[in-house]
Amino acid sequence: MKHRKSFAPLLPFKSIQSSISFAFSCLILVSITITSLASYQLAVYSAERNSEGYIEEIMKQVNTNIQSYVDNMENISLLAMTSKDVNYYISSNNFISNEDRRAYEKRISDLFQAILYTRKDIASLMVFGYNGRVVSDRRITSLNPYAVLTDQAWYRNAKTAGGKSVLSAPHVQNMIQNEYRWVVSLSRELKNSDGITGEGIFLVDLNLSVITDLCSQINLGKKGYMFIVDNDGNIVYHPKQQLIYSNLRTEQIDRVKEAASGTVFSVNDKEGKRSYTVQDTNFGWKIVGVAYANDLISNKGDIRQTFLLYASAGLIVSLLLSIAISHRLSRPIRTLQRDMKAVERGNFDTQTTVREQNEIGQLGHTFNMMVGQIKRLMQEIIHTQENKRKSELQLLQSQINPHFLYNTLDSIVWMAEQKQHEQVVLMTSALAKLFRASIAKDTELVSIRVDAEHITNYLLIQKMRYESQLEYQIDFDRAIFPYKTLKILLQPFVENAIYHGLRNKPDKGTVTVRGYESNGNIVFEVEDDGLGMTEEQLERIWKPAPVAADEVLTISPKGIGIHNVDERIKLYFGNEYGVRIHSELDVGTCVTITIPKVK
Amino acid sequence: MRLHRMTFILVPLLVALLVFGVLNYKLGDVSPPKARSIAFVLKTSNARSDFWQAVSAGAQAAAKESEAGLTVEGPLQDMDADAQIRMIQEAADRKPDALIVAPVHDPRFNDILHDIRARGIKLVVVDTPLALDAPPYYVANNHMEAGRQAGRTAVEATKGKLSAAIISDFPNSGVQSERERGVKDALDAHADEYDETFYAGNSEDNAYAYTRSLLLRSPGINTIIALSEPAVLGAAKALKELDLAGKVKLIGFDSSVYEIKLLEEGVLHATIVQKPFNMGYLSVKTALALVDGKRTDQTTYIDSVVVTKSNMYTPENQKLLFPFIQK
Repeated sequence: MKHRKSFAPLLPFKSIQSSISFAFSCLILVSITITSLASYQLAVYSAERNSEGYIEEIMKQVNTNIQSYVDNMENISLLAMTSKDVNYYISSNNFISNEDRRAYEKRISDLFQAILYTRKDIASLMVFGYNGRVVSDRRITSLNPYAVLTDQAWYRNAKTAGGKSVLSAPHVQNMIQNEYRWVVSLSRELKNSDGITGEGIFLVDLNLSVITDLCSQINLGKKGYMFIVDNDGNIVYHPKQQLIYSNLRTEQIDRVKEAASGTVFSVNDKEGKRSYTVQDTNFGWKIVGVAYANDLISNKGDIRQTFLLYASAGLIVSLLLSIAISHRLSRPIRTLQRDMKAVERGNFDTQTTVREQNEIGQLGHTFNMMVGQIKRLMQEIIHTQENKRKSELQLLQSQINPHFLYNTLDSIVWMAEQKQHEQVVLMTSALAKLFRASIAKDTELVSIRVDAEHITNYLLIQKMRYESQLEYQIDFDRAIFPYKTLKILLQPFVENAIYHGLRNKPDKGTVTVRGYESNGNIVFEVEDDGLGMTEEQLERIWKPAPVAADEVLTISPKGIGIHNVDERIKLYFGNEYGVRIHSELDVGTCVTITIPKVK
Repeated sequence: MRLHRMTFILVPLLVALLVFGVLNYKLGDVSPPKARSIAFVLKTSNARSDFWQAVSAGAQAAAKESEAGLTVEGPLQDMDADAQIRMIQEAADRKPDALIVAPVHDPRFNDILHDIRARGIKLVVVDTPLALDAPPYYVANNHMEAGRQAGRTAVEATKGKLSAAIISDFPNSGVQSERERGVKDALDAHADEYDETFYAGNSEDNAYAYTRSLLLRSPGINTIIALSEPAVLGAAKALKELDLAGKVKLIGFDSSVYEIKLLEEGVLHATIVQKPFNMGYLSVKTALALVDGKRTDQTTYIDSVVVTKSNMYTPENQKLLFPFIQK
């Protein structure tokens, strides 16, 4: 019990099963939680990485597509540059008369139309010569009279770029009368044959719808979108461009401008957590994909639900398993405990059944061995104790009260002085027989005849000593003589009857000794009509004989204890046999001794 | 023993609950908001109406951003009240969380919208002011402020020496009467003279005739503020005929290709342009806020922009003047 207490703070359970179950459950819980969490995080992380890679791939794709449009525009511009007609027509020192102009214009216009015919994404092709001549893909080019050429960004930028092609931001092209188209313009200055002097500006307009269609078709989750900014941070395309202009929304344009190509940065504000994937183009635009974290892993909730579900299922199964396992593990211990309790109650015949070959099985084996050992030792102890008691009693009974001997001898001497020879002879021979009977030590059990002779001799001696004061009567059924009895069984009772019952009685007393068979047992009765005993005296008689060794060995003046004789009978014949005393004050005492019929 | 058996089952369960609680808390932000549905009934769904197409685009942008379900519809014909009422009732029968309506001017709307609100559908009214018993949530251009902007532009253009005329369509047209009040408000502040308002009845010809006779009658007029597109076109025609283009400052509202050309030509001095995309966007945002039970303004005003020839091709204004990209 004390040991258990010291465990109490660790696991507050009284049974091993509970402790094992609890420990298992905690272990399982912790491990399942940790693994679930870890794998969930891993799954989410890898899903995020995957989708980031995916977005980058899309951005690259968009980049490639836009790039191909721009490249096409460049190629077309090269075509114009290398066209002799175009070069000559806008050359400052040509000799084209006004009549010839129409023919030139038509040829150039046809060329442009042919190009335009193959390219649906091109809105218009135009050449503006510094000499004031203008040709477009239209047969008749009517320019918007209110659009000032030098105000146009594409015109100015191409002029300053000096022969390099320039890509404009998306704008509404208003050069042609009654046409207002959203376009992206690629413009470049056409050089004279010397390659230094500018002769005019060539313009290719790409329909912006090509780019916006491309961008709006890109699907980056439910909320994700993409946008394009140019070198200066101006928005080329943004699905919420108007909101940004109205300051209803903000965009991370500054960070995008700083970001290198291929970088990803994430933003977390009230709009939500999202990542920006930036991709540079080689014509100066930055293509940016914006994906919302929630969107990236659209099934994040599903993943979590699945994990929770599996974790719960695993947990329940393993909890049940842990209970079952702990039950199985602790069952032999409980069996052992139950058997130990039986031993505790005194049942040394208990043997526990051993099924297992493990430590608990060994424990069971050891327990069985131990119980067997204890049982054997206890029987040994009982045996030796019995032997000891028997030998003690043998010693006791071999002793004759010395007073009796002295008194008898005194009586003999007195009778000899009185010259009562016959009496002396009788008494001496009786004494001799008495001694012979008590000294005959070889056997414990004697026939009833021997004990009857012994008691006869004893009473003869006592009668001669007390003469008229004592009368006695011996009445044995001769049929019981062949049966065995304990040696010197009756003498202590007769002695007691004489010394305690009759000696102090003023008038003559009688001792009656009877022996007969009753209900298959042999019954002896020693009856006197002496003083009798009170209740207290009777009780005192039944008290065990003194235990101290010296007292056992010396005969107390009161004679051999009735208790000892009773015990001796029970030892030999069993508990159902023994001594009963019936006594009445001033009437007498009757001692009944019951022993079995033993041949 | 009984108690202990209970304990060792209960304790892990409790711990498990705790762990899941923490898990849920930690990962709680991933759960998507519950799907909200919004029905938007426009004044017209005609693809030629740039204004309403831009409203629709703005509404869709807001719906995508907020992951809400949105349906946009409207009668093909502008001013078709019967068709719109039928559409509104069909939309309401689909039991959306919120209904956004840009109602055509019709007396029946009071009862219909009242009934829709009684059915627990959040209501947002867009563009046209409605006199409902309980004022609805309202997202609209601030027409009065737009009128003030026009007035202020006129004052600036004439450097304070203003003599203005106003051309409107109808005396009790919701939008135009607000613009008129705004214009007068701005002009009053400068204590300048203006002629009384002429109602051209949505007719270019009326506006032309009025302008022509007005300018011939009183040459001192140096500013005409036209509150609708027909009025602008009519006035511009008269100005060009009388060769007064640029001399008399014409200030208009809204934008169309014709007005843009007038701007480029210099006949139209300035036009006050609305932001329909923002209107669509903010109306959906307002509806979502109502559905989510957030506090929101009863009235959300959308500002307008003054576009002149010099700023008409800036990136912001290009988007307003040419909201759509023609293929």
